[in-house]
Amino acid sequence: MLEIKNIHKSFGKNEILKGVDLKIEKGDVVVILGPSGSGKTTLLRCINFLEQADEGQAIFGDMVVNLKSATRKQIHQIRQKTAFVFQNYNLFNNKTAIENVTEGLIIGRKVPKAEAYKIGQQALEKVGLSDKINSYPSQLSGGQQQRVGIARAIALNPDIILFDEPTSALDPELVGEVLTVMKTIAKEGTTMLVVTHEMSFAKDVANKVIFMDGGVIVEEDAPEEIFSRPKEERTQQFLKRVIPEDYIYNI
Amino acid sequence: MSVGLDYQFLVKTFFIALSGVPTALIITIVSLLIALPLGFLLALSRINRIPVISQLARVYVSFVRGTPVIVQIFIIFTSVPLLLKPIFEEYHVKTNIYDINPIWYAFIVFSLNTTAILIEVFRSAISTVSKGQLEAAYSVGLNNVQAFRRIIIPQTLVVALPNICTATVNLIKATSLGYALSLKEINLRAQVAANVGYNYIEAYIDIFLVYLLLCSLVEYLFKLYEKRVRKYKAVDA
Ligand SMILES: Nc1ncnc2c1ncn2[C@@H]1O[C@H](COP(=O)(O)OP(=O)(O)OP(=O)(O)O)[C@@H](O)[C@H]1O
Ligand SMILES: [Mg+2]
Repeated sequence: MLEIKNIHKSFGKNEILKGVDLKIEKGDVVVILGPSGSGKTTLLRCINFLEQADEGQAIFGDMVVNLKSATRKQIHQIRQKTAFVFQNYNLFNNKTAIENVTEGLIIGRKVPKAEAYKIGQQALEKVGLSDKINSYPSQLSGGQQQRVGIARAIALNPDIILFDEPTSALDPELVGEVLTVMKTIAKEGTTMLVVTHEMSFAKDVANKVIFMDGGVIVEEDAPEEIFSRPKEERTQQFLKRVIPEDYIYNI
Repeated sequence: MSVGLDYQFLVKTFFIALSGVPTALIITIVSLLIALPLGFLLALSRINRIPVISQLARVYVSFVRGTPVIVQIFIIFTSVPLLLKPIFEEYHVKTNIYDINPIWYAFIVFSLNTTAILIEVFRSAISTVSKGQLEAAYSVGLNNVQAFRRIIIPQTLVVALPNICTATVNLIKATSLGYALSLKEINLRAQVAANVGYNYIEAYIDIFLVYLLLCSLVEYLFKLYEKRVRKYKAVDA
């Protein structure tokens, strides 16, 4: 459904992405793991055109887009098919929860207000925030804000949702509520590409895990394989660092 | 000759000074209408380091901030006619340059001056609205104009409002320098009235009161407006 071919991206002299290929089928939940600075965020941002890649292709169904020289219209089309959930939520602070969720529908897609409101309501209900519809972000906890962020993504009914470390800005006690929502929408068949350090999510929910390091994909496999029988040395070292030994063998 | 104030003159001149308020307000409003959008755009150019424009804006701000308004007035008042003269002659404009209503010079000086102040005001205000919100706006399908109009500008304005209020009040006060352009604003009208019987103290008291009332009123209106638009901010903020 979505295929990314040969993404390259440098910042100045620093080559961050050195030719990444990615294939995601409908209903896939793909988790990207990797050490800090390995280019995970940059990869997601290039897919959503928040960053312009230096080279590469995105193939969306029958649509082929050059990531370096996409036209405005193509960028708009790709953004219609993708939604982004940010590490720092990035909610619109001057808008209520429901306005945050409907903004893209009403302004970006010209959906009639009443219809957008209904979609927004359903999305907020799905993330368990029906009672916070009219709250401003400043009145919500981090976990609630991120759930609005997820509702904002769901409401757009995208082909795929890109998550960039959606729980890493949260206090530990708030991580659970966000992961639960993510699990729920994954079970409903939402296609997701998730950068996270939550190994439990990768193990329990993902059907494919990608390990990235130094701007390339080092290894990709089913979670059972990656976690119990990592093939590459770098993957093994990374997993040793992030998961206590006994946990690996207890899957 | 009595030492006390001439109360009758005091009252009469108060209304004469008051009759200069529209002039002060027109200059203020025109200057703001020009300076608000221009200041915002130039602030953006500074933040995004747009080549040439950004540097020009910086130099411009330091020029305006580093010189007294009265000097700026004299410079514009003397240089603009010199610049316009050849243009007028070239295109056979019949108007005598020295007959131009001085209010035009006031518009130019105070717009230029306020723009410089607002560039700095907006520069700090825009940077308080996270770039992430702009990216979120793009990612949900808003274009540049929509994202700025609906997300960035409203929040920037709220943050900048106290400083815009200060700039506006300073602008109103600065219009009192319009006397240097023979502009019939609050200051000049009252002083001219005082010339007749040397009632300067009364005139100055009137001028003082009119500015005080006007500026207090403007500040009050800003506060009201601020309360209305701040509603999304945290209750405890
Ligand atoms: N706009 C930018 N300008 C310059 N360098 C950048 C920019 N964005 C990212 N980088 C650099 O690119 C490298 C990869 O960044 P990226 O955010 O993609 O890593 P990451 O894998 O997401 O790391 P983390 O786990 O810490 O989020 C980093 O070294 C970072 O400093
Ligand atoms: Mg990152």
